[in-house]
Amino acid sequence: MATAITDPLPAKRRSKSAQMKRYGFFPGCVAKESCTELFNSTMLLADRLGIELIELTAASCCGASVLNDVNRDVARVLNARTYAQAEALGLDDVITICSTCTGHMRAANKELLEDERHMEHANAILGKFNASYQGTVSVRHLLWLLIDDIGLDELRKMVVNPLNGLKVAPFYGCHIIRPESVNGWESARNPHSLEDLITALGGEPIDYAGKTRCCGFHVQLEKDGIAANMVGQNMRIAKDKGAEAVLTPCPLCHLALDGYQADSVARWGRTDLPTFHLPQLVALALGVDVTKLGLKRHVISPGAILQERDLAPMHVA
Amino acid sequence: MSKITLDLFRFDEATGEDPRRERVDIDFPETSTVLDALEYAKAEVDGSITFRRSCRSSICGSCSMNINGTTGLACKTPINSVLREDRSVRIDPMPNFEPIKDMVVHMDPFWDKYSRLKPYLQPADKDSDHERERRVSPEDMKKLVAVANCVMCATCYALCPVISVDPSFAGPAAIAYAYRFIEDSRDAQTSERVAQISDDYLWLCAHCYACSYCPKHVDPHDRIIDTKRKSVELGMTNAPGPRHALVVSKTIKQTGMLAENEVIVGTVGKFNFKGLLKIMPLGLRMAAKGKVPPLIMHPVPKVDEIRTIFDAMEVPVA
Repeated sequence: MATAITDPLPAKRRSKSAQMKRYGFFPGCVAKESCTELFNSTMLLADRLGIELIELTAASCCGASVLNDVNRDVARVLNARTYAQAEALGLDDVITICSTCTGHMRAANKELLEDERHMEHANAILGKFNASYQGTVSVRHLLWLLIDDIGLDELRKMVVNPLNGLKVAPFYGCHIIRPESVNGWESARNPHSLEDLITALGGEPIDYAGKTRCCGFHVQLEKDGIAANMVGQNMRIAKDKGAEAVLTPCPLCHLALDGYQADSVARWGRTDLPTFHLPQLVALALGVDVTKLGLKRHVISPGAILQERDLAPMHVA
Repeated sequence: MSKITLDLFRFDEATGEDPRRERVDIDFPETSTVLDALEYAKAEVDGSITFRRSCRSSICGSCSMNINGTTGLACKTPINSVLREDRSVRIDPMPNFEPIKDMVVHMDPFWDKYSRLKPYLQPADKDSDHERERRVSPEDMKKLVAVANCVMCATCYALCPVISVDPSFAGPAAIAYAYRFIEDSRDAQTSERVAQISDDYLWLCAHCYACSYCPKHVDPHDRIIDTKRKSVELGMTNAPGPRHALVVSKTIKQTGMLAENEVIVGTVGKFNFKGLLKIMPLGLRMAAKGKVPPLIMHPVPKVDEIRTIFDAMEVPVA
């Protein structure tokens, strides 16, 4: 395993947004719908970090990996429209809080930047409502912001409520690492950013085979039991390795892991691992008011484990 | 030369004994490949170590195996890229297959799914004029080149998380190969092929991109998406997969957002009471914690721009 990068990126390699501490923010659909606790804890964390996340309120869905199934080009154009909104605000980073948004928005941006026919096509359509995309935007996940722009050393200094050795299984979510040609921020086969972060917050990361596997969210409705089995398989391995909780940068993974563990008991046994959204656990360690993190909205309550590790009283979750 | 330990899966179906692990120490240059190291161990240490190999240059597709937990061609994997801190490399047979002996597995399920596709050209005029050349334009050929590189090593099949829980899924290689004939301008069985691969759970692909590790850059995930789009184009939309794609498209056009509630009901089917009943327990578990998406989705600002994009591009919606 490569060693953690503990310093933030040198100033000259940082984006304009990072230098201004003002970022374009693309929350994605799920953080605005069923997982509002993710949206809220992200904003609270940003506040604590002293950065400003400017929500692109007129943005559309990224295409969610599904729009490609009906039209190969529409997600690219929709995302170009979103990037144009960030450019109009003078921002060159669009920060995401969902693995699927990250992967698909980056794929769209890569196509736009690497093939001028795609850029011309998108701008021809955006021109119908007087918008255009100049190609200056980078799509980055909040996880990458934490490590590149804030830095693990700085985060460690900001921890006021260390995780007291809480055993946390990282669950990356496919689209933040694969395909590597689109993401490439870290190794897709052996990522370690979540482990580094868990360590910096005072927790103990669990190494297990399921961490880069799929949660099954995107096929939950295609056939009975598929997603529950994929969830059960991964959570069984995590639990057997000693995990007490799961940390994911993706709300789709959160929904599947949190929702389907109860349905996978017959084949995989009881696992009952509470699943934290990335900003929830960081905010908790950084001393944000734990009652505001929406922990009561989890199907599998993290209350007992938080109390056991002396991190928060049971009733907050 | 350096000391390297091969941490090997050892098994022989014929003996009926449980699998065991064996550590084999060799002196070997770590700039070589994992396959080179296995061949050396077999020649110099233990002739019973068993694995498939032939070309040693990623053309034959024989030597796919699990190396430190991820699957790939041993002949294409440098030792120094996978050497662990204790200078060992863990080697197992491909997952999602039953082992026969050491790294050799039963490939039958993989070949069965492949042969179901009738992986040969079925032109309209197949009985006439065997002498005539059937030509393909360079433009049409471009669609087939990536899949033509497939060496059927089954790396994608071994990595597929859907196969690991439900072997009825055709798997990435078979769908990519179906696509290769579906898009072949000489083939006349296009809709039959799309219908069959749809029956073999084309839409069960979990979008996980595990098959993006394809050692030959076939990119099966992209071919799966292309094949799904073809099935929508051909009107094969009466199944949860295509319904899901079309209702997602509809809600984005209407509101700018993927409206979770409408997508769930639209995918299962508005009048599919049995299906809706099945997802009720999960819905209730979530509702008990207040995890309910808004019942009425308000369109995002400037939603007319989004609708302009959908109309200009003639995007299908439910």
